[in-house]
Amino acid sequence: MRVTLQEELDSLQASLSEETELVLRALRGSINALRENDPELADEVIAFDDEVDALYLAIEQGIESLLARQTPVAVDLRFVLAVLHSNLHLERMADLCVTIAKLTKLAHGLPPDEMLVEGFDEMASRAEEMIRVALDSFVERDVQGAESLVDLDELIDRTNRRVVKHVLELGGDPERREWGLRMIVISRCLERVGDHAVDIGEQTAYLVTGEFREFTDASHPDRVDT
Amino acid sequence: MRGGRRDVRGAIFRLALLASLGIAFVTLGALLVDVASKGFEFLDPFFFTHPPSTDPHQAGARPAILATLYLGVLLLLFTVPVGVGTAIYLEEYADKNRWYNRLLEVNIQNLAAVPSIVYGILGLAFIVRGLGLGRVVLAGALILTLLVLPTVIIAAREAIRAVPDSIRQAAFALGATRWQVISRQVLPAAIPGIATGSILALSRGIGETAPLIMIGALTYIAFDPTLLGPFSALPVQIYNWTSQPQEDFLKLAATGIIVLLGMLLTLNALAIWLRNRYQRQW
Amino acid sequence: MSAPPIRIEGVATERPEPGTKDVVFDINDLTVSYDGQPAIRGARFEVYRNFVTAIIGPSGCGKSTFIRCLNRMNDLIRGASVEGTILYHGQDLYGRDVDPVEVRKRIGMVFQKPNPFPKSIYDNAAFGPRVLGMTDDLDGRVERALQQAALWDEVKDRLKRSALSLSGGQQQRLCIARCLAVEPDVILMDEPASALDPIATTRIEDLMHELKRDYTIVIVTHNMQQAARVADMTAFFSVDKLEDGARTGVLVEYDATPKIFTQPSDKRTEDYVTGRFG
Repeated sequence: MRVTLQEELDSLQASLSEETELVLRALRGSINALRENDPELADEVIAFDDEVDALYLAIEQGIESLLARQTPVAVDLRFVLAVLHSNLHLERMADLCVTIAKLTKLAHGLPPDEMLVEGFDEMASRAEEMIRVALDSFVERDVQGAESLVDLDELIDRTNRRVVKHVLELGGDPERREWGLRMIVISRCLERVGDHAVDIGEQTAYLVTGEFREFTDASHPDRVDT
Repeated sequence: MRGGRRDVRGAIFRLALLASLGIAFVTLGALLVDVASKGFEFLDPFFFTHPPSTDPHQAGARPAILATLYLGVLLLLFTVPVGVGTAIYLEEYADKNRWYNRLLEVNIQNLAAVPSIVYGILGLAFIVRGLGLGRVVLAGALILTLLVLPTVIIAAREAIRAVPDSIRQAAFALGATRWQVISRQVLPAAIPGIATGSILALSRGIGETAPLIMIGALTYIAFDPTLLGPFSALPVQIYNWTSQPQEDFLKLAATGIIVLLGMLLTLNALAIWLRNRYQRQW
Repeated sequence: MSAPPIRIEGVATERPEPGTKDVVFDINDLTVSYDGQPAIRGARFEVYRNFVTAIIGPSGCGKSTFIRCLNRMNDLIRGASVEGTILYHGQDLYGRDVDPVEVRKRIGMVFQKPNPFPKSIYDNAAFGPRVLGMTDDLDGRVERALQQAALWDEVKDRLKRSALSLSGGQQQRLCIARCLAVEPDVILMDEPASALDPIATTRIEDLMHELKRDYTIVIVTHNMQQAARVADMTAFFSVDKLEDGARTGVLVEYDATPKIFTQPSDKRTEDYVTGRFG
């Protein structure tokens, strides 16, 4: 029953998954560019954002058309709204990867700190994991999986705090300091990617329960903002 | 809510209705009882197998019964095709805005109300004399046809009209021609109504006396009738017997009435059964 | 490099470019009058093959009048006159030597209130083939038609029973099967679900989605949400007042359905679909 509606909903889901794959590629690309200090790779990452934007727009238009024509209600409506929000979060994640790439280019030629760069690798891996968990939970409608994102996010937050501390200890010459500042911003970007993944998790919970609530209220009443 | 004024007027009205109903039934009942008691004596197979005679105890109504049967069959044969055909023309083909069609409509209604003796006069002038048929069964059948034709047309029209237009639309939309729509959808659906109407018209026709008297069915016929020979139908035979002085002939007349009533009641019952069994609820 | 846009499976997202899609009906300057009063005036657009095209609009805008022109059912109404041209696969539908019976064989119609014949289910489906002389393999034709109308499984064991014993939704699917049995090219539907309950309605809508693979469908509906759900292209007719105060129907806008319901070009269309009409 309502074959067309179901086909369109499935199509949206597939597109969201596709967009997630693109975001993961952008993230991997931007971290590789950082680690290898490769401005050309960074340029590629920046150009790649066009693909993500195109898919983002297509999903937006698809949602507009579906809402106008199929007037979904109940779980179908919540699904469409959840896709709408998640779409935005994925697009923001891709933009953050662009920022990381731009900062990598700006930091090119400045003296790097190997330990810090390794730290970023770890943060990026964590972020990648969070993105996969977020999407899988969404597809499986798994609220507990979505809620587990909070703990994963906490790890990124901690790493972020360590990075800040480390940069503060760098001291020394202006070039070092400049590099350090750029790194702080990159760290912030990765931390923001994690936050967006949690937001997608919240959409999963909304989709399943019909209630919108922020996860962080549940387990972390005091969050320390860096 | 309790008690309150009684509806006096309503009660009186209902009483009046019941009273009139009662009078009608009682009168009818009395007539039937009278006829049955008088006619019972001569009601036996002899009545059906023997011709009339001057001796009441030797008299039967065989030629009259046969004539009535012939008239009935001929009536059906003539009225149904013509009546149904006219009804189909008027309902399915005729443009109602044309003057001649409107004229036709009005006339059919009028003709249904004309007294039967007028048909008798008409028949005498145009069919017996004009066509030169003479005072024969065929002529009688033709006159009775004219008499009941308007009724059949009206009944057929009602039956055809009762078929919803949506059926016709659906049939047309499938690529049927007008004739296919009529023959395969409208007519089959209208047949119960047409049959009922025809049988009722038939029962009216065979009960008519006046036109048959006009064309001379009042003769004393002692032989079996043929299509083109002289005849006397059952209603006329009854009338004949009632004008005889002997008491026994009155009894014979009553017997004839019982037979005629039996025929009419059977036909009407058949019509009602047909209607109840096959009439479609649209 | 940009990713391809999302294709919504099975729904047209844009009006086809001229020449890219087969045109089944090419309607030009169509004016239909009853006894001199125009019911629709100056309609012009194209109906594309294997699309569901919906006609929407307020009552009195001539939707039913329009669709009845496409299979020449208006011929049956005294006083109806048709001006302008309707080309069916390039041929003038109202040409001098065109036989309406042939037209109706190719262009079938399903009506608002289910109107099965008072005969058996089998005889209903077989009526069309019988009157058109397509009597070879009648059983096969009946079965295929009932299959395509998604009714076969429900009635295959009681084909000889009266069609009137079916539910409303089943009767309407039987009417669709009846129409399909003559193997038409186009199926016209005049408010096919307005007499049905929501579940039966959804089944009919899903059926349209199936059928449009093999047929071209034109549907008239007063329920614009239905048009939004099923149609590839939507035509919006509205009511115009003439100089003498008479009302006539005119085509206001014709475009791909997503466009009509997200960004209509004409304000009248927008007023209608948003429910702010009048």
